[in-house]
Amino acid sequence: MGLAEELVALVGADRVLVEPVDLYLYGTDASIDRGPVKNVVFPESTEEVAEIVKIANRYQVPVVPRGAGTGLSGGAIPIGSSLVVSLTRMNGIEDVDPINMTARVGPGVINLDLSKHTKALGVHYAPDPSSQSICTIGGNIANNSGGPHCLAEGTTVEHILELEMVTADGQVIVLGGQAPDPVGLDLRGVVVGSEGTMGIVTSAIVKLTPNPLATRTVLATFNTVEDAASAVSAIIARGIVPAALELMDKLMTVAVERFVGAGFDTEATATLLAEVTGHDSAVDAELEIVREVCELHDAKAVRVAVDEAERARLWLGRKSAFGAVAQMAPDYYLHDTVVPRTKLAEVMAKVYEIADRYDITMMNVFHAGDGNLHPLMAFDSTEPGMLDRVHAAAKELVEVCVAAGGALSGEHGVGIEKRDLMPLVFNEYDLDAQARLREAFDPDGLFNPGKTLPEGSRCFDFGRPVPEGVWV
Amino acid sequence: MSSLQSTLSQYLADPSEVPGAAAEIICAPASLPDAAKVLEACSAAGASVVPWGSGSQQRVGGLVPADVILSTHRLNQIVDWQPDNMTVVVQGGVRAADLAERLAERHQTAVLAEIPGESTVGGLVATGASMYRRARYGPIRNRMLEATLATGDGRVVRGGGRVVKNVTGYDIPRLVAGSMGSLGLIGEVCLKLWPMGAAHATVRVDDPERAWATAYRPLAVLDINGSSFVYLGGTPAEVAGQSAQLGDVVSDQMLWPEPWIGSGDEVRLSMRVRPSDVADAVASLPSGWEYVAAYGVGEVSIGCPKVSLDELADLRRFAEARGGALVVLDGPTALYESFDPWGSPPSSLDLQRRIVARFDPDRIINRGRLPGGL
Repeated sequence: MGLAEELVALVGADRVLVEPVDLYLYGTDASIDRGPVKNVVFPESTEEVAEIVKIANRYQVPVVPRGAGTGLSGGAIPIGSSLVVSLTRMNGIEDVDPINMTARVGPGVINLDLSKHTKALGVHYAPDPSSQSICTIGGNIANNSGGPHCLAEGTTVEHILELEMVTADGQVIVLGGQAPDPVGLDLRGVVVGSEGTMGIVTSAIVKLTPNPLATRTVLATFNTVEDAASAVSAIIARGIVPAALELMDKLMTVAVERFVGAGFDTEATATLLAEVTGHDSAVDAELEIVREVCELHDAKAVRVAVDEAERARLWLGRKSAFGAVAQMAPDYYLHDTVVPRTKLAEVMAKVYEIADRYDITMMNVFHAGDGNLHPLMAFDSTEPGMLDRVHAAAKELVEVCVAAGGALSGEHGVGIEKRDLMPLVFNEYDLDAQARLREAFDPDGLFNPGKTLPEGSRCFDFGRPVPEGVWV
Repeated sequence: MSSLQSTLSQYLADPSEVPGAAAEIICAPASLPDAAKVLEACSAAGASVVPWGSGSQQRVGGLVPADVILSTHRLNQIVDWQPDNMTVVVQGGVRAADLAERLAERHQTAVLAEIPGESTVGGLVATGASMYRRARYGPIRNRMLEATLATGDGRVVRGGGRVVKNVTGYDIPRLVAGSMGSLGLIGEVCLKLWPMGAAHATVRVDDPERAWATAYRPLAVLDINGSSFVYLGGTPAEVAGQSAQLGDVVSDQMLWPEPWIGSGDEVRLSMRVRPSDVADAVASLPSGWEYVAAYGVGEVSIGCPKVSLDELADLRRFAEARGGALVVLDGPTALYESFDPWGSPPSSLDLQRRIVARFDPDRIINRGRLPGGL
């Protein structure tokens, strides 16, 4: 029997893809690359995942775990002919516990479905990436996904209490737990965000968050992006942490207005969407701070959403931004970098300077409160020389952010996209330490090889003399 | 040891600078590269090393022998505080009290120990001490943005970054929290800060379980030996509004429980259970024992004057049956020999062993201090 036959014998022919036209669909994600797929298998239980990993081991075929394929850094794209393990059928929501505010979910559960499921209990799952209506929690775990409301609530890793995971040798282990501080190294925190390179998560106990008692959503407009960015930094410096602080520039608000008609001012150079949540008696005081700081930074107008319908419309506008871009140009390239928020205004000025110099349409909508930039280049790839310009501009963007003390990625992951940029922020010892960590989980590189770390990260790979006593 | 002592001569400390430390060799390097050189030499000599901050938590989870004590008291700089970015970079030997005092100048907090005593940032990170306000701000690992370690074999490695949101590479800083130094000496960390509330209140309540369910995001809800309190922080309006609904305001400050100081025979324990099991955990304690139970968190800190091994075993069974643990924080030396301070090791023990081997291949730092004798 070959690989496909063994998989069919395990799960049945209806849960294994073998036809080239089917396999082609699983060769990419929401980024711009593509890779070869040997087979796709759809397990429905932890036991099946464990057996699949053992089979893949026997055939020495790389295993690429996959959720909804909405990743933007190529984390789910195979490098070398691989077995794609799609976790979308493991989508059960069980054991919703209103006392401990937890739920057990399968990796294939759609992010937004969980909050819908728990709505009646007055709790929600806090991480809210813009793709939350289609992305899976398993994918969120792989990428440590963020979202607008992670400013106050933290990213995915802060909401994962326990993980069940299949290891490279097909064993099932449990990391973390519902009691605080499980004994030993806290491996759940390092598995979250490991981009499918350490194991396949088959189940998770997630933390649910009480819905806020009161919410105020503010829309402030500015004449310059720098003013808006300075206002963001100043709001945080005033000692409040709003639930969200999102910034959009003019090109983006125009696109969004055409797309969904959210009610944004298309004349404003920059629009800040701020949300404060909390106790009834606190939100108005915080709202006043936001208003005051915006006015101090020369806001054109500050408007508070009058009701839930208006609030929902504004957030729909924010979360539709990337869909809206599709009308502007046939192709787009969305970037994700982070800078200290005090550097936002300075870095944004450089972002626009880069766009001008390369003559590229650069639109911005981003998590300003976290310093998490999302410059988005809209272009037509059939235009001669355009792709070269886009790549060169993207490289400069990263360099500007790193020079400002920033990081390569805030929430989209390293994947393939930024793997080879890792030496910009880590030296060879740092990368070697990360490679050692990965090796401890997966010595033969079975899981998602070629992601996250550049080739040669392990010290002996690049020929540096190994100091005496160093483990190799 | 004498040849090691001469190799390390330039890093040696006067024992009087490191109160409580008992080892043939006491080193106090003044930089992380120097700490790495000490560790490299110890690895080569096969000498066991115990990192030492203030020594206040050296009995947490185990007592291990030291050929060399590596004191962090010269790694005591607040390296880079960015108040407007709400991040701070500190060396491991900085006293938590000194950091808290400095950050209070701008009404910020790293949410370390409420009453830190002499404890150091590195020590609190190493033991993963998250203390009471984790009910609101989460555990200490959530604030670990960057960590720089000197590994057991003498490498200086850094993970994470100095920004509040980051997925660039594996989250080594988070792994360091609670690692008991097994990945390396915690030389420097970047911590995420929080604004301190403009107003505070300590409110006495009758029913802590109900208070936890009704209070909106309190800093903590504690049952201290049968008296329960809600701790609030935020805007004056929020604190005043909530206090009135919850109970009797006993202070407009935070009246935290004093750290438990036992005599040599007494035992200090941490029982960890699911938040919903806290009331049952308290009920399971023999009368006369002191405790602080953190509602919404699931930790019961216990001080007991005299305890039998049977009583300890019962408590451990209770906790482990609920997916938790019973950990010895302090106690007579003999206890550590007859009662495993951690209890059942995690199902990932083999994996943990492989990880530690890649950071401390000769297993010289705090050998045996992790669960499962690791």
